[in-house]
Amino acid sequence: MSLDLIIFIVLSALTLASAIGVVITRNPITSVLLLILTFFCISGHYLLMNAQFLAIVNIIVYAGAIMVLFLFVIMLMNLNKDTEPQKSTMVQFAGVISGGCLLLVILMAFQSSGIELTQTSTTVSNIGLIKVLGKKLFTDFVFPFEISSVLFLSAMIGTVVLGKKDDDIATAIQDS
Amino acid sequence: MGGMLGIVAAAILGVVMMFVGLISQKSSVIRIAGVACFLILVGVTAFDFSAIHEQGTQLYFNNMLSVGIKASWFNVLISACAFIYILIFNNHITKVGKNDAEYFALMLFIMVGVFMLSTYNHLLILFIGIEILSIPQYILAGSDKENIKSNEASLKYFLMGAFSTGILLMGITLIYGSVGSFEIGNIATAFQGEVTALPMIGVILLIIAFGFKVSAAPMHWWTADVYDGTPTAITPFMATIVKVAAFIGFINLFHGAFGNIHYSWKLTIAILICVTLFIGNITAVFQQSVKRMLAYSSIAQAGFMLFAVFALNDTAEKSIIYYGVSYTLASIGVFAVLIKLKDYTYEGFNGLGKSHPLYAITATVCLLSLAGIPVTSGFFAKYFVLTAAMEQGLWLGIIVFAVLMAAISIYYYFRVIRAMYFTSSTEEITIESNPMEQILLVINAVLVVLLGLFPQFILG
Repeated sequence: MSLDLIIFIVLSALTLASAIGVVITRNPITSVLLLILTFFCISGHYLLMNAQFLAIVNIIVYAGAIMVLFLFVIMLMNLNKDTEPQKSTMVQFAGVISGGCLLLVILMAFQSSGIELTQTSTTVSNIGLIKVLGKKLFTDFVFPFEISSVLFLSAMIGTVVLGKKDDDIATAIQDS
Repeated sequence: MGGMLGIVAAAILGVVMMFVGLISQKSSVIRIAGVACFLILVGVTAFDFSAIHEQGTQLYFNNMLSVGIKASWFNVLISACAFIYILIFNNHITKVGKNDAEYFALMLFIMVGVFMLSTYNHLLILFIGIEILSIPQYILAGSDKENIKSNEASLKYFLMGAFSTGILLMGITLIYGSVGSFEIGNIATAFQGEVTALPMIGVILLIIAFGFKVSAAPMHWWTADVYDGTPTAITPFMATIVKVAAFIGFINLFHGAFGNIHYSWKLTIAILICVTLFIGNITAVFQQSVKRMLAYSSIAQAGFMLFAVFALNDTAEKSIIYYGVSYTLASIGVFAVLIKLKDYTYEGFNGLGKSHPLYAITATVCLLSLAGIPVTSGFFAKYFVLTAAMEQGLWLGIIVFAVLMAAISIYYYFRVIRAMYFTSSTEEITIESNPMEQILLVINAVLVVLLGLFPQFILG
């Protein structure tokens, strides 16, 4: 058993355990902290696959920025108690059954498709480096890279349009 | 040169529109600029079309975009439809909220997504295209900020849309995992004869994700609330142009990439068609509000458009363009009259035939077209998609079922017509009418009929 395989198994077990923990825990804070752990584990997987840049970005963006946002929301809305509404057992049962079916189908598909799980070759290892990635982005993938700016621009417009306080609305709320 | 100028122009015009909002706060200036932007867009796509007409299919950016003659003709038609929509609704759009220029800018960005969906040749472009199509819509749905229903529509659409994006990505991942390429052509060559279960799950997940975007049952639950809650000036844009674009993306993918394994997904689509037609039509019958009825009718129309996905032939690809244009024009015509009324229930239409004959006539023509009565374009649209399915052969059952459902749809469309002509109203309906708008509505109604008389114009 190679070292890579041992690391992979340990990381996978940790990822799955913490991901399941995110869903089943009732306390939002614990949930978010477990989610951070999940992201770190996924970053570990990226490192195993020689995607160093992706691993770093995953930690900075997800575990750093977005999770802090999550914690802020929980703090501001005071959600630290177990306030999850009770769902009926029927719904829970249906959810478990349909989720289980999907899991089963995907597992069987992976098994029957006969894809060989090969080790990423470490010789052509520079694909995950920032220099190579940057070159790819500005040559082969320049169109999706540039057109994404339209997507982000419209998202930014949305934040301003929906978030900005209109003067009329402010006075209307004061009057009522 | 030419072919993808439409994408470039739509993106630039969107930014220009934002600057117009910065320079002038007057809604009249913004409206004129918005109309001008869409007019330019029609011109640019027409230029693209003529270039493609001369040069044949063009590939851009390492085969990421493939602009063929059909795709660029679709671009011209859809921008023309968007232009008509903007012409009729521009003063209503500026009444929705405070950020007039941004609404036009967001619609122009949606057009970028529309053009990407009609010309993509790479799953990555498909994904970004769908996102560019969707995200401005979430914002537009919530543009009436004081209205709680608008807020609900926006949030509901956003959450459900984000979920369906996840499913789309999962499907793309599974396809990539088994083929090793994002390109439509490579996928088509890889999928021949028997395929393994792994890409099949990918195909199913893609059907679910696209079914959500085109509001096919059983992924339709968001549609009624979102279309109902969205400001009436925005709803026709979402229900028509965006939905038709999603269909074009759907067909490009399933005919282009999964055409060789048609046997494996045609049954799924057939079931989807039956469920969509049944739920859309039956639920529409029980609606009290005309706006909600139109939302359910748009689900029913999606059921008919799914026939074009189901039938894997040339007729199908032509008929979806025809169906899209016909459905878009007819819906715009009905919504243009609906937005004038204060009461959106059927009673609100009472006596409209007497008090405002012109509005009633145009609405009637459009409703007839939606119901698929001969002479109007709606009839030929339904005829062509069903012909495409017939050519596919051996699936007579669902075609009979579709015709039966079309007959049911006549009930709820005619209920509006009956309210307008055969029920008198106790109170006078007051509509502020301006001659410019009346002329546009008449032109729209005439187009609906003319397209029915000369379908060759679009199909040719």
